[in-house]
Amino acid sequence: MIEYAARRLAGLLGVWFLAIVITFVAVQFVPGDPIMALLSDRSGDADLEARLRADYGLDRPLPVQFLDYLAHIADGTFGLSFRFANTTVFDVISGGLLISPILAITAILIAVPLGVVLGVFAAQRANSWADTAVILGLVSGISIPNFAMAAFLVYLLSIKWSVLPVAGWGTPQHLVMPVLILVIPPTAYVARLTRTYMLEVLQQDFVRTARAKGLRERLVIYRHALKNTFVPLLTTVGIIFGGLLSGTFVVETIFNIPGLGRLAIESIFARDYPVTMTIVLLFTMFYSIINLIVDLAYTALDPRIRLTNTKA
Amino acid sequence: MRAGTKLLALCASALALTLPAAAVSQAAELRTNINADPAMVDPITYSELIAGDVMANVYEGFVGLDTEGNVIPALAESWEPHEDGLGFRFKLRSGVKFHSGRSFGAKDVKYTFEQLLIPGNRGGLNAEYLDTVVGAQAVKDGKTTDLEGVTVVDELTLDVRFTKADVLFPIYPFYFMDAGIVEEHGADWATKASAGTGPFKFKAWNLGRDVQLEAFADYWGGAPKIDGVRFLIVPSGDTAVSMYEAGELDVVYVDTQTIRRVLKDPQFKDEMLTAPAAQIRYLGMNQNLYEPFKDIRVREAICIGFDRDAMVDGLYDGAAFPLYGQVTPGVAGYNPDLPAIPYDPERAKKLLAEAGYPNGEGLPPIKVTDTEPNKNDITYYANQFSSVLGMPVEVEIVERGSHIKRMNAGEVPFFPWGWSAGYPDALYFLSQVWYGPSTYNRSRWQNDAFDALIEEAQGTADAKARYALYNKAEKILLDDWGTCPTTVRMQVALVKPNVEGVSLTPFRFLPFGDAQVTE
Repeated sequence: MIEYAARRLAGLLGVWFLAIVITFVAVQFVPGDPIMALLSDRSGDADLEARLRADYGLDRPLPVQFLDYLAHIADGTFGLSFRFANTTVFDVISGGLLISPILAITAILIAVPLGVVLGVFAAQRANSWADTAVILGLVSGISIPNFAMAAFLVYLLSIKWSVLPVAGWGTPQHLVMPVLILVIPPTAYVARLTRTYMLEVLQQDFVRTARAKGLRERLVIYRHALKNTFVPLLTTVGIIFGGLLSGTFVVETIFNIPGLGRLAIESIFARDYPVTMTIVLLFTMFYSIINLIVDLAYTALDPRIRLTNTKA
Repeated sequence: MRAGTKLLALCASALALTLPAAAVSQAAELRTNINADPAMVDPITYSELIAGDVMANVYEGFVGLDTEGNVIPALAESWEPHEDGLGFRFKLRSGVKFHSGRSFGAKDVKYTFEQLLIPGNRGGLNAEYLDTVVGAQAVKDGKTTDLEGVTVVDELTLDVRFTKADVLFPIYPFYFMDAGIVEEHGADWATKASAGTGPFKFKAWNLGRDVQLEAFADYWGGAPKIDGVRFLIVPSGDTAVSMYEAGELDVVYVDTQTIRRVLKDPQFKDEMLTAPAAQIRYLGMNQNLYEPFKDIRVREAICIGFDRDAMVDGLYDGAAFPLYGQVTPGVAGYNPDLPAIPYDPERAKKLLAEAGYPNGEGLPPIKVTDTEPNKNDITYYANQFSSVLGMPVEVEIVERGSHIKRMNAGEVPFFPWGWSAGYPDALYFLSQVWYGPSTYNRSRWQNDAFDALIEEAQGTADAKARYALYNKAEKILLDDWGTCPTTVRMQVALVKPNVEGVSLTPFRFLPFGDAQVTE
C-alpha cells in the first residue's frame, strides 16, 4: 500500500511537470504581447518597453525563461505579476488560494450523500411516479444554465426577500447560493448513477438471499446492496471534482467571490500570464491530489483492486 | 452514511473557522464599486483609470475640480507666469498636512516630480506632464536625480521653468506625495502607508476584495463627514447593480453593459446621476494607407454615411450623444455651436460618384478594425458603408495591445477609437490626437495651419484667447473632414437616497470628501 502510494505520488510530480510545460508553451501561442498590454497607449516608448522586458525577464531566450519560471516555482513566488506593479504571483493568489477548493469540496460533501439518497429512493421505486418525479426534477436542474439559475436566486433571495447577500465572501451566508448552484449538477449525476447501480445490484443473488432469509428491506438496501455501489461511485468523485473546479470560474464571477476561478478569468483578460499559469498549475494539483485520494480510498475499500495493483 | 454525516459536520465547522468573521457594516462608511483591482495605489507608477478612482480621494495636485467640472485651486493657492512665459511661480497652500502629520510644502512637489522621472521608478501617466520642465531629460536619462528646472524658493513657494511654453502646467493632475514617506516606511511603502494630503487616508487593499480608505480628520478642506470609503471590487456590472439593489452598495458606477438594465428600470429614475464622459470618439482614416481617403469627398461621404442617432439608440442603449467635433462637453474650450453632421446617404453617394467611385465601384477593399468589446460598432460601420456606399469594407477584430501598437505606428488604415482627457482642457484632445507630431495622432492626419494654432495655444495664457484658437483649429480639422467625430458616451451612476454630496463629472466621481451617509 505504501509502495503503491509512493509510486502514485511520483507519478503526480510527472503530471505537474507536464502541466508546467504545457501551460508555458501554450502561453507563447496566445495572441498579444503582455508588455504591449502593459504599455497600452505608451507602446511607442521604446525605452520603457525595453526596461519592462528586462524587468520581467522577457528579453531572454525562451529556454532561459522556462528555467526562470521553474526557479520561481521552486522559490514559491511564482514570478512577478504583469498586472500588479511590483507584486509577486504568490501575493496575488495567496488571499484566495483555498476559496475554490473550499467551494468544490463543500459542494461534493453535499452532492454525493444527497445524490445517493435520491438515487436509492428512485431505485427502490423504479418506474413508479416517484422515480419519474425525482429523475425529472434532477434533469431539469442540470438543464437550467447556472448563470440563469443564479440570477433567479439572487432576485428571489437577496433582492426580493433580503435573506442572503447578493455577492461577496466572508460569512457562511455568502456560501449558500454559490454552493447551491454548484451542487445541482453533481447531485443529479450521482443520483442517476446510484439508481442504475442499485437496480443492477438488486437483481443479484446475494440480495435475493438476504431477502429470503427474512432481513428487513432497509438492511437489505443499506447494509448489503448500497455498499456494492460505493466503488463505482467513488471513481466518479474525481471527475465530479474537476467539473466543480471549472464551475467555480462561473460561480465566483457571478457571486463576486475572490477565489482563483474569478482571478483566472481576470488574469486571462488582463494578459497576466504568470498568474494564469500558476492558477492552471494549482488546479492541476488540486485535481490530481483529489484523484489520488480517491484511488487510494478504493484500494482500501475493495481488496481485489489492492491485490491487482501490488502485483503489477 | 453516519460517518458521512459526521465528516460533513466536521467540514462545516472547519469551514466556519477558516472564513473571516462577518464584516461589521458601519453606517457612516460609503461603499462603492470598482470593476477590478487597481494595478497600483502609489502616485508614481499610477497609470490607469481604476487606480485613479481610488487615488483621487487620497492625493491632490495644484488644482481640483468643482461639482460643475471647473478647475479650482487645491494645493496651489495661486500662480504667476514668468515674464518670458517659460515657467510659473506657485504659491502653495499653507497649513496643509500630509496623512503622516508632516506639513506639505514646496520640497514635496519637487520630490514628487523627481520620483516620477527617475528611470528605475517606472513613472506612470503623470511623468508625461513634465516633458517641458528644464532638466527633465537629464533625470530621465539617469544622469542626475536633481530636477534642475524646479526650485524650492521657500517652504511654500515653488519655481518651475520650461524649455518651451506650457500654459496649462498648473492644471495638470499631479498627485503630490510626502517626501518623508520612504525614509519612514521603506521603498515598499505604498501598501503600508498613506502619503497624500487628500480627504481620505489609504487604509488597506485586500486583493480581489476591496480597497479601504479612512477619513483624514486634519484635511485642509475640513474633515469628511463619513468615516471612510470602501471600494468593493466587483468585476461584473450586473452583480454590482444587484448589490446596490440589495443595499450592499451605496453608490454604483454603472458599466456600459449594464446601462440598459438601469435605464429601463423605473425604480432607479430618481437615484440616477449622468454626465457625458470626457472622451472623444472618432473614425480614423489614414490617408497614407488607403488611396481614396486622400480625396476629401470620400472622407465626407464616409462621415455623413452613418447614422449617429441610430448608433446611440441601437448600440449604446441611449447612453450616448452624437459628437460633432473633437472636444466633449464639460471640457474647457468645447464649442457648443458646431453644426450637426447629418446622416445623408444620398449626398454621400453623390460625393463618391464625383470622386470617381459611382456606387463604390473601383474602391479597393478595406478593413475596419477594432477590439472584441467594440465588435458591434465595426459591424455596424462595415455593414453601413458596404450597403449604403457600396464600399467593400470588412470587419477585423484584433487584440488590444498589438492594435494600440499598430495604431501608434500609423499602420491601421480605418478604425474607430477614442481618447479620454487627463485634464479638463480641449488642448488635451487637440494636441494629443490631432497635432501632427503627436504619437497618438493615430490616423496621421496632418495640417500645418492646425499645428501652428496648437503651438500658439500652448503659449497663450489668456483662457478666452486660447479657446478661440481651439475653435479655429477644430474647424480646420472638421472642414477638411480629417476625421469623423462619432459619439460621446454618457456615464451613469446610481446613488442611494440616504447618500448626499456625491458628484459625477465628465471626469468620473469627484472625491467623496463631501459625501454624507444618513441612516
